[in-house]
Amino acid sequence: MGNYVFKRVLMFVPTVLLLSIAVFFIIQLPPGDYVTSYVSRMSAEGEVFTSEDIDNLREQYGLDMPWYYQYGKWMKKIITEGDFGYSFSYNRPVWSVIMDRLPLTVAITLIIMLFSYFVSIPIGIYSALNQYSVGDFVFTTIGFLGVGTPNFLLAIILMFASFTLTGDPLIGLFSEDILREGLNFSNLGGFLKHLIIPIVVIGTGNTCGIIRTVRAQMLDEVTQQYVLTARAKGVSERVITYKYCLRAAMNPVVSGLAGSLSSLFSGSTISAIVMNMAILGPVLYEALKNQDMYLAGTILLTQGFLVVLGTLLSDIALAWLDPRIRYAERSY
Amino acid sequence: MVLHKRKNKKNKDDEYYLASQWTLMGRKFKKHKLAMVSLWVLGILYFVALFGNFIAPSDLVAYNSKIMNAPPTKIHMYHEGKYIGPFVYGIDMERDPVTKRKVYSENMDEIYKIQWFTHGCEYKFLGLFKSDLHLFGVEEGGAILLMGADSMGRDLFSRMILGSQVSLTVPFAGTIISFVLGIIIGGISGYFGGVIDTAIQRIIEVLSSIPSIPLWMALSASIPPDIPVVRMYLYITIIVSFISWTGLARIVRGKFISLRKEDYVMAAKISGVSNFKIITKHLVPGFMSYLIVSLTLGIPGMIIGETSMSFLGLGIRSPATSWGVLLQEAQEITSIATYPWRLIPLFAVILTVLAFNFIGDGLRDAADPYK
Amino acid sequence: MDGKETIISVKNLKINIALDEGTLTAVRGVSFSIDKGETLGLVGESGCGKSLTCKAILGINDKKCSTEGEIFFDTDAEGEVDLLKLPPKGEQIRDVRGKQISMIFQEPMVCFSPMYTIGNQINESTRLHITKDKKKAKAISLDMMKKVGIANAEKRYDQYPHEFSGGMLQRALIAMALVCKPKLLIADEPTTALDVTIQAQILELIKELQKDLQMSVLFVTHDLGTVAKMCDRVAVMYLGKIIETGSVEQIYHDPKHPYTKGLLGSVHKIGTKKQERLFSIEGTVPLAMNLPSGCSFYDRCKDRIEGVCNVKEPEVLAIESNHTVSCHAVSRTIKGGSSIE
Repeated sequence: MGNYVFKRVLMFVPTVLLLSIAVFFIIQLPPGDYVTSYVSRMSAEGEVFTSEDIDNLREQYGLDMPWYYQYGKWMKKIITEGDFGYSFSYNRPVWSVIMDRLPLTVAITLIIMLFSYFVSIPIGIYSALNQYSVGDFVFTTIGFLGVGTPNFLLAIILMFASFTLTGDPLIGLFSEDILREGLNFSNLGGFLKHLIIPIVVIGTGNTCGIIRTVRAQMLDEVTQQYVLTARAKGVSERVITYKYCLRAAMNPVVSGLAGSLSSLFSGSTISAIVMNMAILGPVLYEALKNQDMYLAGTILLTQGFLVVLGTLLSDIALAWLDPRIRYAERSY
Repeated sequence: MVLHKRKNKKNKDDEYYLASQWTLMGRKFKKHKLAMVSLWVLGILYFVALFGNFIAPSDLVAYNSKIMNAPPTKIHMYHEGKYIGPFVYGIDMERDPVTKRKVYSENMDEIYKIQWFTHGCEYKFLGLFKSDLHLFGVEEGGAILLMGADSMGRDLFSRMILGSQVSLTVPFAGTIISFVLGIIIGGISGYFGGVIDTAIQRIIEVLSSIPSIPLWMALSASIPPDIPVVRMYLYITIIVSFISWTGLARIVRGKFISLRKEDYVMAAKISGVSNFKIITKHLVPGFMSYLIVSLTLGIPGMIIGETSMSFLGLGIRSPATSWGVLLQEAQEITSIATYPWRLIPLFAVILTVLAFNFIGDGLRDAADPYK
Repeated sequence: MDGKETIISVKNLKINIALDEGTLTAVRGVSFSIDKGETLGLVGESGCGKSLTCKAILGINDKKCSTEGEIFFDTDAEGEVDLLKLPPKGEQIRDVRGKQISMIFQEPMVCFSPMYTIGNQINESTRLHITKDKKKAKAISLDMMKKVGIANAEKRYDQYPHEFSGGMLQRALIAMALVCKPKLLIADEPTTALDVTIQAQILELIKELQKDLQMSVLFVTHDLGTVAKMCDRVAVMYLGKIIETGSVEQIYHDPKHPYTKGLLGSVHKIGTKKQERLFSIEGTVPLAMNLPSGCSFYDRCKDRIEGVCNVKEPEVLAIESNHTVSCHAVSRTIKGGSSIE
């Protein structure tokens, strides 16, 4: 086990390096660069730039070099100084811009993730044990709708519904009094109310996905020979369900952890733009539009890094859960 | 063997056992009611998209400043108690003295009958020959807005139908791209193994660890803003297919690795069959059904991808239109509250995504015909 | 019968399976009984309903299967009970399963959950039926593991199924089945999935343990050689019916039913002349869904009588004590036989 974990952690490093190359490559793809978009914006406001000015700007930002050179410089600074570059549009180091919102982004994502596991696993078990019952039918239908409806559209629908019903679209994560006074006991309720739509919007797809996985997996496990063997030795149905079926059904849920994380980041990015939430999504959107490349790159890298980390953790958890994996790795 | 001996003695059992994989799949699929309904729904949607220019009364560019943000027009049968067939009233516009907002009402004095097979704006039917024939329209001077008008006074119904030509074809083009990429890359990875396999797997792992929407956003942002519509469409399709081909390549690789060990492949190898032939004749047919299922299940993601990108203004851009573009107008709550018909394209998206999901599910169940 | 104590008697057991295509009657009225200490061999081709019959005794058939008939079993707690009447998830039947009637299956590789150690899974039986005390239970389980010939049992106890070989897993499965010393062991083709050399060892082991524990065995197989080695009596099954029963001697030396004769003819005997071909029964087993009327073996039978065999189903005919057969052709030739039922 220890050996396996060590190997797996060792593989983590090149993956992240490869990730950073991919991200940087994508980020520098757009024709032109920050200077181009900056100049065109300033020109629209009546500023005049000579080509010399432009070259100077480029040189100042280091944008006059080929992309791999820029990448090398960027990486070197990240590794040696923890400096992720400079955000052109915020006029601040990228990392400080990100740290404004990263903790909240991660917190929201984790809350939604826990929420979806807490809701979906019991429902999945229930659905599998009561296949074709009314409850199963209802949950399956909701599951289909949830998987089928794109997040941001759900956001629009819910905000519209909330607006017509209560007059408050529940936009944003914090109401104005929280922003003024900070979070305290009296406005906690308001904060939680503002969490409802994000949780539902961002979490639904993921929750419904897990429900379907758990249900299908449980139904699959029930037909396994070892379940029959257990039944033949007089084990009660409860024990069969929880000790045998559920344990085996957890594997795909655990191995889907990274996928969930990725889909939550994905969903929260666009939903946050629609719902005006103070997390990283809207920042990324603006950064991409303005070609604020280090900012956009670092956000992508952070999200990708967290997903890769999630994969690592789920692989380790899986090895811990499933003795077969431990064994297979040992025999290498 | 036994089966051959009994071929002439055809009976029900034989039909069951000898039916090809595809017949069995078809039979099982037909039993999945939701999937069958979905197939019909999609059939209708695609039919409408195909004959879009004919069905839509208006085209993408026609606008009328007199009907900006006008609500859907009501279709009447009776005027002052007298039956005169389907018609619409004229549209009157006033400004609300307080909010300064335009308020539309029906002008009972003007009657415009609905006409079938009218002549209107010109288009190229199926991109082949010119025509100006439309399924329906109203008499000169009137306007029929089945789903209201947008902020520029364009008919939303027409825009939605014409938008479906983009929204509904992106996933197909994307599927083809995914299919080709998935088979080639997954096949290379699985068939040759070793260093190539490791490298490809790492790259796929890295690509799929970047969350899809941020990845799409980053890639879409790199599309130059002023390129022809066709190229923009192609780029979006390629970007959107990212969600599918990586997964497909993994499946193909996995199947290659497990099938490679099968005796019949070994037998073919020993008989001196070339690698290419083994792959195309023996390996690919062996997991074709899985590929089709996985491709179908990837389609909803692509539709969502295109819609999301266009919605954010990073995808299809005007003058071309898609459902995502139409939904841009529904971004703000106040706009939806005032003009709720702007939400209609949203239901088209949900309907299509659900239909593809159901079909994918039906196919997945059917792919295992003996179960 | 003969003053012996009957442990289980199955009467007119029918099993229907609800499929999408319709209802399939897989077992069509099976009756047999087993005495204490006796081994009954249930022989037949695959798909004839042997496994379903076994699982019906324990009430562990799939939800799709509905069962009719009676299965009387001499339970510890309440004497003779019809097992089919017990609710399949209830405590009563669970007290029978694993403790009084145990079952071992064809493929030991899939009979253990890959998630838990072998010891855990064997011990589950012990703790369920014998003692809740962890230490005592483990000692009992380990003892059984040693008894079935698992060397190094203490170490093996903490290993996972994938670390066992097929033969070892079958031994573990037997240990799991016998740890509670059941009265009846149902062995459903326990050696089919194993190598030939290991097959012999496992059969030997079952025989030994049977003697030790004085239990009855219902031995299911399609291998007649095994039956001769293991069983006292044989019941031959074809398409959901028992078509002939008798002692091993009767069946082997004086088979009556054309199907039994065919089966015996297809066993390879050492000493056959080279030119002689191995006998095989013509045709294939028909699907139980669209059975022809009359005798279900009609299509493949050499002795069929047109106008009789394809019209009416044959009745059970007792030829000698303990030797019964269901065949029109046989009942025509032997007038002395009297039909029961």
